[in-house]
Amino acid sequence: MKEEKIELIKDGKRLSGRGFEELRSIKIEVGVLKRADGSCYFELGDNKVIAAVYGPREMHPRHFQNAKMAVVKYRYNMAPFSVDDRKRPGPDRRSQEISMVSRKALDPVILRELYPKTAIEVYVEVLQSDAGTRTAGINAASVALADAGIPMRDLVSSVAIGKIDGEVVLDLDAKEDNFGEADMPIAMIARTNTITLLQMDGRFKKEEFERGLKIAMSGCRKIYELQKDALVKKYSKSGNEE
Amino acid sequence: MGQEVIEDIRKDYVYDLIEKGKRADGRGFLDFRNIVVERDLIKKAEGSTRVQIGDTVVLVGVKVEPGEPFPDTPNKGILMTNAELVPLASPEFESGPPGENSIELARVVDRGIRGSETIDLEKLCIEEGKKVWMVFIDIHTLDNDGNLVDAAALGAIMSLLNIAIPYEQYGLTGEDMQIRDTPVAVTVVEIGGNLLVDPSVYEESAATSKLTVISNADGSISGLQKSGSTGLTEEKIVQMTKIGIEKAREIREKYLPKI
Amino acid sequence: MYKVVVPGDFISTEVNRAGDGTYVEDGNVYALKYGVVDDRGTIKVVALSGKYMPVNGDVVIGKIVEISFPYWIVDIASPYEARLRKSEFGRGENIDFGNMCEYLDIDDLIVAKVMNVDVMMRIDLALKNEFKMDGVGRLIEVSPTKVPRIIGRSGSMIRLLKDKSNCFIFVAKNGRIWIKGSSADMDIASQTVMKIANEAHTSGLTDRVALFLDSFKSEKGEG
Repeated sequence: MKEEKIELIKDGKRLSGRGFEELRSIKIEVGVLKRADGSCYFELGDNKVIAAVYGPREMHPRHFQNAKMAVVKYRYNMAPFSVDDRKRPGPDRRSQEISMVSRKALDPVILRELYPKTAIEVYVEVLQSDAGTRTAGINAASVALADAGIPMRDLVSSVAIGKIDGEVVLDLDAKEDNFGEADMPIAMIARTNTITLLQMDGRFKKEEFERGLKIAMSGCRKIYELQKDALVKKYSKSGNEE
Repeated sequence: MGQEVIEDIRKDYVYDLIEKGKRADGRGFLDFRNIVVERDLIKKAEGSTRVQIGDTVVLVGVKVEPGEPFPDTPNKGILMTNAELVPLASPEFESGPPGENSIELARVVDRGIRGSETIDLEKLCIEEGKKVWMVFIDIHTLDNDGNLVDAAALGAIMSLLNIAIPYEQYGLTGEDMQIRDTPVAVTVVEIGGNLLVDPSVYEESAATSKLTVISNADGSISGLQKSGSTGLTEEKIVQMTKIGIEKAREIREKYLPKI
Repeated sequence: MYKVVVPGDFISTEVNRAGDGTYVEDGNVYALKYGVVDDRGTIKVVALSGKYMPVNGDVVIGKIVEISFPYWIVDIASPYEARLRKSEFGRGENIDFGNMCEYLDIDDLIVAKVMNVDVMMRIDLALKNEFKMDGVGRLIEVSPTKVPRIIGRSGSMIRLLKDKSNCFIFVAKNGRIWIKGSSADMDIASQTVMKIANEAHTSGLTDRVALFLDSFKSEKGEG
């Protein structure tokens, strides 16, 4: 993906003016859809994603049922207009892989054994993409699962760390992702510091990887606080209106 | 979060209510639910509109890219309309390739835009037989509480307004796309002999017939689609069309510019 | 206002008081659900959304969705369908494959009791005495998590609701609520039920509901 080299860091600052360990702006809204059992709208910089949860409900087709626990289905889908060059509708290899790793990022916190034979369905729609959609999707999905009343041990929070112009930086935007040297999304259970998703492409030195992981984990902790605030706010707001 | 669905012990709750001249949400038969539109939410699209009618939410994005013309229309741009009834939007929608409902939705919206000739496709020709602009209208449903088609059609025409064709990005020059008309879709349903506009999801399932009327600024019609498995009389069709044109005029005055 | 918690929130160190909607790890009690904390008695997290999970003895409102001899298959607003055996109508009845629909047909609504839930989540129902919802009234569906609030402490809320709305109201464990009364009274009762469901997480609700119900009375009086 590396085309002509562009300078991503000038005078110690990123092109967006962010510091190396600074997240993009985040906006979270809970319970935004009427028909879904739980839902969440999540903005991370120019990324706009929405997640809906349905279930637990009867699993179809039946032979996909698990007699001992619920099956979590996760579908990550990009709207055709969410990217610079129109994306052909429907699943492709990339979205299928993202769906799978995202599902596995959330599986460990869901008490699937309480709902044998059912499906818990998570649908993530990317409305606008600017690098980091899978992390935004996981953050939204985690909040939407809680909103649907699904029993979970914890929330899951997610962010990417990367390398641009030789520097380790948090939460790459599209330009940084396209012209950078490495990108590593993680998802984490913030309370227990357990990593549930880890991918990387590009090239990190061992020391950069270790330092990057620490920065990403602290980024997840910040997102976790915002997720909690958004959930608490939903019920503190609607309470007193008459 | 809305689990608070009212049903009735009698299956025909909606029907009985309408017999008494009422609708479950209190509005009149010829009233739309509250419409909220937000434009240009998606920077990556040349045009975009989020349309909310009651609790129904649709996001329409328009992208414009160069491509090859169809062999039989070498001097015309290409208009493509696509709809995805994504499973996020309703417990009834399923993953997988587009089903007949999403194809119908896309085609009805497409017919309205095409029939009204609001876009001059010949102006979208870059080099005859080689290169033309392709206009993709993508309808993304987010929450289905009924009447997706009116929401999608409004989103489509609003997204097409003031589109800047990305000439510069492809090293080209030219003029911006002009919108020549403002087609608006209004869906009228028949329930027990009564005619209602803007059906909710419950009203849609109680409706015996449904007619979507797409009409233009001069009151002419540029698209019709009857659905539902019961027939309609000539009288009813004329009435429904009249209602459709009249309601479209109200919506046009409120949300669309004069052309 | 009750304290709102999200999954994984620390609630207490009193592990021996940990109740529904919580879990214990390393000597602490944590929230297992998104909801409000109720620490009268055991420490519970009361979720404000979620599906109905059947428990023996629950009385539910079900809808017949399929006839599969010798069972009626019943939707009980749960991830699992329940079944009702033909013998529920008594051994004397001569029910066979052909005439089952004369007893209960598709879409009929029934009041039934959950008799057994096995490990495979097969659910058996028994008919209640007045099982058949005789085609009158209105059915409201709310999240089953709101049911305790609609009933209220030792039935206070539901008593208030019945008295002031002049309706027969039956609240089933699965979140389905059967209301019978005049059309105007049913409107009042259903609006009030919605209000309780929407504000289930707030305190002082009973007083506000009483005021809300009175507001209809004064409207009527003036009109």
